[in-house]
Amino acid sequence: MFQRREYEPEYALLNDSGSKPVNRYGKPIDTVPPGDPLREQPFVINGEELPQQNPNRYKQHGFHFTADNCIACHACEAACSEKNDLPPHLAFRSVGFVEGGSYPDYRRINISMACNHCDDPVCLRGCPTRAYTKFAEYGAVLQDPDICFGCGYCTWVCPYNAPQLDPVKGQVSKCNMCVDRLEVGLKPACVAACLGKALDFGVIENLPEGRIQAEPAIPGFPRTDITHPNIRFQQMKSIQREMVRVDGTALKYHRTGDREGYRPELDPKKGFRRQWNLGRLLGSHENAHIVFTLGVQAAMGAFLLLVLGGWFGLPAVTALRNSPAWLPSLGLMVLVTAFGLFRLNMHLGKPHRFYRGFYNLRLSPVSREIAGVSAFFAGLLGFTLFNLFDGEWARPLQFLFALLGLLGMGFGGYYMYRLYRIPARPFWDHWHTGASFAGTGLALGSLLLALVALPFGELTRELGQLLATVAGSGLALEGLGLLAHGLAMRTADSEGAASWYEQLTTHGHAYWLRNLLLAGSLLLAGWLAVHGGGPWLFALLAVMALVSAIIGRALFYVLVIPTTMPGAFFWRNRAFVEHARDTGLAEMEPLGVVYERHHRFDLKALLRTIREHSPRQMWEQVREIVLAGPRP
Amino acid sequence: MLFGRTKKNPIKMPDKQVREWRYAVCGYCSTGCSIEVGLDAGGRAVASRGVADADVNRGKLCLKGIFEHELFDSAGRGTRPLVRDHFRDQWRATDWDSALDRLHDGIRRVQERHGRDSFAVISTGQMLTEEFYTLGKLTRGLIGTNNYDGNTTLCMASAVSGYKRSFGSDGPPGCYEDFEHTDCLIAWGSNLPEQHPIIYWRLKEAQEKRGFPLIVVDPRVTMLAQNANIHLPIRPGTDVALMNALMHVIFSEGLQDDRYIEANTNGIEALRAEVEKWDPVTASRVCGIDEDSIRVVARTFARAPAAMQIWTMGINQSTHGSDGVVGINNLALITGNIGKPGGTSLSITGQCNAMGTREWSSCSGLPNYRYLEIPEHREEVARFWNIDPEFLPRQRGMFQTDIYQAMEAGQIKGLWLIATNPMSSLPNTARIRRAMEQLEFCCVQDCYVDSESNQYAHLYLPAGTWAEKDGVMTNTERRINRVRPIVDPPGEARPDLWIFNRVAERFNRDGKVKFPERAADIFLEMGELSRGRLADISGMDHELIEQNRGIQWPYTAEQRERGEEPPRGGKRLYTEDGSFRYPDGRARLIPLPFVDNNEQPDRDYPFWLNTGRLIEHWHGRTKTGKIGNNNKFSPIPFIEINPDAAAGLGIRRGDYVRLVSRRGDAIAMAQPTQRVPPNMVFLPFHFHDCANRLTLGLLDPHSRQPAYKQSAVRIERIEDQVHAARLSKEMRKF
Repeated sequence: MFQRREYEPEYALLNDSGSKPVNRYGKPIDTVPPGDPLREQPFVINGEELPQQNPNRYKQHGFHFTADNCIACHACEAACSEKNDLPPHLAFRSVGFVEGGSYPDYRRINISMACNHCDDPVCLRGCPTRAYTKFAEYGAVLQDPDICFGCGYCTWVCPYNAPQLDPVKGQVSKCNMCVDRLEVGLKPACVAACLGKALDFGVIENLPEGRIQAEPAIPGFPRTDITHPNIRFQQMKSIQREMVRVDGTALKYHRTGDREGYRPELDPKKGFRRQWNLGRLLGSHENAHIVFTLGVQAAMGAFLLLVLGGWFGLPAVTALRNSPAWLPSLGLMVLVTAFGLFRLNMHLGKPHRFYRGFYNLRLSPVSREIAGVSAFFAGLLGFTLFNLFDGEWARPLQFLFALLGLLGMGFGGYYMYRLYRIPARPFWDHWHTGASFAGTGLALGSLLLALVALPFGELTRELGQLLATVAGSGLALEGLGLLAHGLAMRTADSEGAASWYEQLTTHGHAYWLRNLLLAGSLLLAGWLAVHGGGPWLFALLAVMALVSAIIGRALFYVLVIPTTMPGAFFWRNRAFVEHARDTGLAEMEPLGVVYERHHRFDLKALLRTIREHSPRQMWEQVREIVLAGPRP
Repeated sequence: MLFGRTKKNPIKMPDKQVREWRYAVCGYCSTGCSIEVGLDAGGRAVASRGVADADVNRGKLCLKGIFEHELFDSAGRGTRPLVRDHFRDQWRATDWDSALDRLHDGIRRVQERHGRDSFAVISTGQMLTEEFYTLGKLTRGLIGTNNYDGNTTLCMASAVSGYKRSFGSDGPPGCYEDFEHTDCLIAWGSNLPEQHPIIYWRLKEAQEKRGFPLIVVDPRVTMLAQNANIHLPIRPGTDVALMNALMHVIFSEGLQDDRYIEANTNGIEALRAEVEKWDPVTASRVCGIDEDSIRVVARTFARAPAAMQIWTMGINQSTHGSDGVVGINNLALITGNIGKPGGTSLSITGQCNAMGTREWSSCSGLPNYRYLEIPEHREEVARFWNIDPEFLPRQRGMFQTDIYQAMEAGQIKGLWLIATNPMSSLPNTARIRRAMEQLEFCCVQDCYVDSESNQYAHLYLPAGTWAEKDGVMTNTERRINRVRPIVDPPGEARPDLWIFNRVAERFNRDGKVKFPERAADIFLEMGELSRGRLADISGMDHELIEQNRGIQWPYTAEQRERGEEPPRGGKRLYTEDGSFRYPDGRARLIPLPFVDNNEQPDRDYPFWLNTGRLIEHWHGRTKTGKIGNNNKFSPIPFIEINPDAAAGLGIRRGDYVRLVSRRGDAIAMAQPTQRVPPNMVFLPFHFHDCANRLTLGLLDPHSRQPAYKQSAVRIERIEDQVHAARLSKEMRKF
């Protein structure tokens, strides 16, 4: 139990005398109704069961922030880091700011934010390992690093940058609402530390003493409709029509006429110079995703072509099937899928916990993607295996595995797309993501087959035209998606506009190279589809399409800018983090910036887990995954 | 609601397993917050928290205090005495006895060769009061050099000098409780939210309750300026003109407190005659504040039943620093705002124990605000210490800043540098380097071996820091508070007091002068010496101080014998008529003619260079640069530059720029912000080899404090950003 001192100052004490029945979104403030079995379950912190002392334990709590008063003294952040024993590169709470006006008519608004313990925690929905729990106690959303396998998906979906992925430990951790302090009647450490009289805490929708506003947002605060965050604001002092971000993100906030207040808008901070920055583009931690998505999508496209072509009796496919190129084609598909899966797994913070990826089948698109892709891979493997045999007996098995592969492909492919439709990442949250994935599958899938057929001399005119047609449609689909995406992002009143800007500047050369390659390969594919062509043209098409796909996918990952709160000039400034890593400043330990790193597959830990759990427990776990998920 | 699981996970929360909390007053700024450091079962300091029943901070701490326990294990601590013949040689480890002998011999050799005063001792505002007192006794009573000063010359000398000139003695008359009574507050060049966050919190608490007008005088739109009722964005270095104009309005509109002036001051006629020349129109052309605002502020201030003024380095670090303080005191005196609840002129001090050194170090005179210039004081102290009164000089020697100029000119040949780092902190680094290079003998005594000044040392003595030691410190509101030894210094490092006592043994072979070993005993000796003085501490002892979470002086033995408890807070000076420290009990109103002698921006150097502090750093960053959870908020130097000016120079957010002054150049990262005017840049002074490569640091004629905040620079865009990043990185050792 948290040790309460004999004398605690008034400001540190929780003081809610009552509460409203429902919050502004219509949810009851009682997390669970009286008599609910969740109220009867013990509340255990660090192995210690606590008797209920706090009368408001089963009410949703949240922070109240008076933006007028925050002086950016960092006491809240420091108190939080001190209590949670965090290294400098991590913080559960951060202060960023926006500013506006002209000297001396200048105003800066500091925003201190941690986790908002949302009504609808997208982190909890998204986490494939079910490391998150929204507790009936205080409505706290807590995360267990011991369950987490370090994929970082929660950090993608959260609009507030609350979950923190630690590149050193390879796991996520986050604000725990200081529930141990709440249990003994104390406000969280950050609130007790506040020196500006800005940060407060209590039952949500209750006004702290001396406050008259409880607004859901202030300028710079991300959208509230995604998760219904449990934070309220007071901001009374007049501020300028435009408030700019001081971090490197090319955004400012512009006043709208309506109650919405302020909307993000492009602020081209670095001018419009086009650059390469290839190192940053291709050297990022997201490389694993590039390899995984491209590899699996190519294999899926090829699989689709082969299986459906076989079923519908397309002569070109039948001819391929009866050629010596058939098994090498299947083999290469198995290889690229396996390599993609391997790279994906090894980029996890805790690769040896891979099996946990299935835990949240009921809610997480990531779990579903993993399940679907695994089914596809199983189907592909089975299909390949039974293609080694000629006997009649193998046919139904080939069919069954083909069917499994297609089902897995449909399910996994769909969720591979769905998982990027994240409202907090506007650059991805567009149908072009789907168009790009499907288009890549068709284009790279057909070219994969063409490349295998080529050395065997099996790339017949018929097969060549078929593959060029499919590849061309894939490229066209991707191109269409990109056009629509570009138009949407250019005019977006969201972080998408800043991503668009980075695309044209920081990665401008790579962007135009990709566009050229895409257009060129589309033309070439069209030519080959109509006229056919020799092996060198196919090889050229394959190379152009592959390079275009790699650059395109790298851009997709490197350009996304989440709808997070603004950073400061150094701390929580992505531009400074990149600068520190590029220049080696990050080597200095007290700088608060660390390098991304890979984590080894800890076989011993995996074996230990297997040893320590009986088959019965494992079965229970499976049952739980399928039957007893989170409940509304 | 959506719950993660039907079966709850066990909750695991970090628990540092603190077994014991130990008390100390914070070792950073002069606010004087009470801290408890938590020790785990292995005796390691793992946590810090504010002491909830301490009147000063009431449980709060700023981010530096919150991580103060990490100081003990921080990088770069010195663990062994080191010695070398020339500063270009490699260090050799040595033992304490040889090291201390070497210091003794070094001092005596320089003195014999070049005269007594050719050896200088420069100390600090960072040590404990008992240590200051002991060092003072050793230096004045045994070593016998008159060139003995502290780095407080860089922060508080103007306040000291101004108080002395106005009131006849140093000693801030107000207290934090004044915020709760005041009806108007003027902050002169003080950015409390960044420099003294806990004092700001006290102010904010009071202001939310009572809503008094806050007037901020600052050329930069600081958080305090932004939150003020009235912000006066003054032209740098012209505060005295504004003060004169405010007094002009007060007198011309008859808003002064005649009764108070009559009963408590001398010099009203001369003052009136001088301010007569400073009508708001004339003043507005000098200080850049329009005449109407001057009138409004004068009326608001003078009509308030109780009005207070606070100030920090915006006033002190200027060529008119001492005059600025006198001007503030003048304003307070003519409106009767001294010594009453909510009415005061309160200098917000810099270092944790700047007050302790002012009171007890004998740097500027003799203990407890005694003067070398007064024969009775020399007699009294010499008798008390058992030394020959003739051994004491008849007037104070040079200030730290003058000592360095004398070093440069070859008059000072030896130096003992204690817990201060002039290589970072003095203006015009190039000259400081030249001065240090010439020393025949230099001893650096510091808790950090990587202190940049150590580059020029021949002898390094590893000292303890903060709560590795035992003693007291005095804060801004004259509150003496206790530091307890929480952990031992690392390796062979020793508390400064231990070092001073061992050095004293070597100068005191006959044992004539007594040097008590325990801090508690030294404190009692100081108490004796304080009887009847302004800073009378004879009623206190270590135990009582800790019990009370600090006691404001004066608290006399008589009060204690009467059974009078020390007050929790709210103790003021000069509360009665005629109680000032001049012999006639009256304060002096001193006219302040104003001549602007600052370096001004011109065609070649078109920007004002304004330097200042960041909340996350402490002075030369030797401490906070090593604590990641402090340092990360500004790990490299940057300038605030107006976006319009930046655009004109082709400078973008995050670019490295070169700043060039008539003294040298520096590299910093550009942060465009409308916080500063188009003709000014703000540069934090914390970083080594940065701000002070540029500053001119003209000296105040009274306090000899450098004007860090008024220099001229030009800004150059750097074409090769990669090279600039490399240079900037190389200059940051930690």
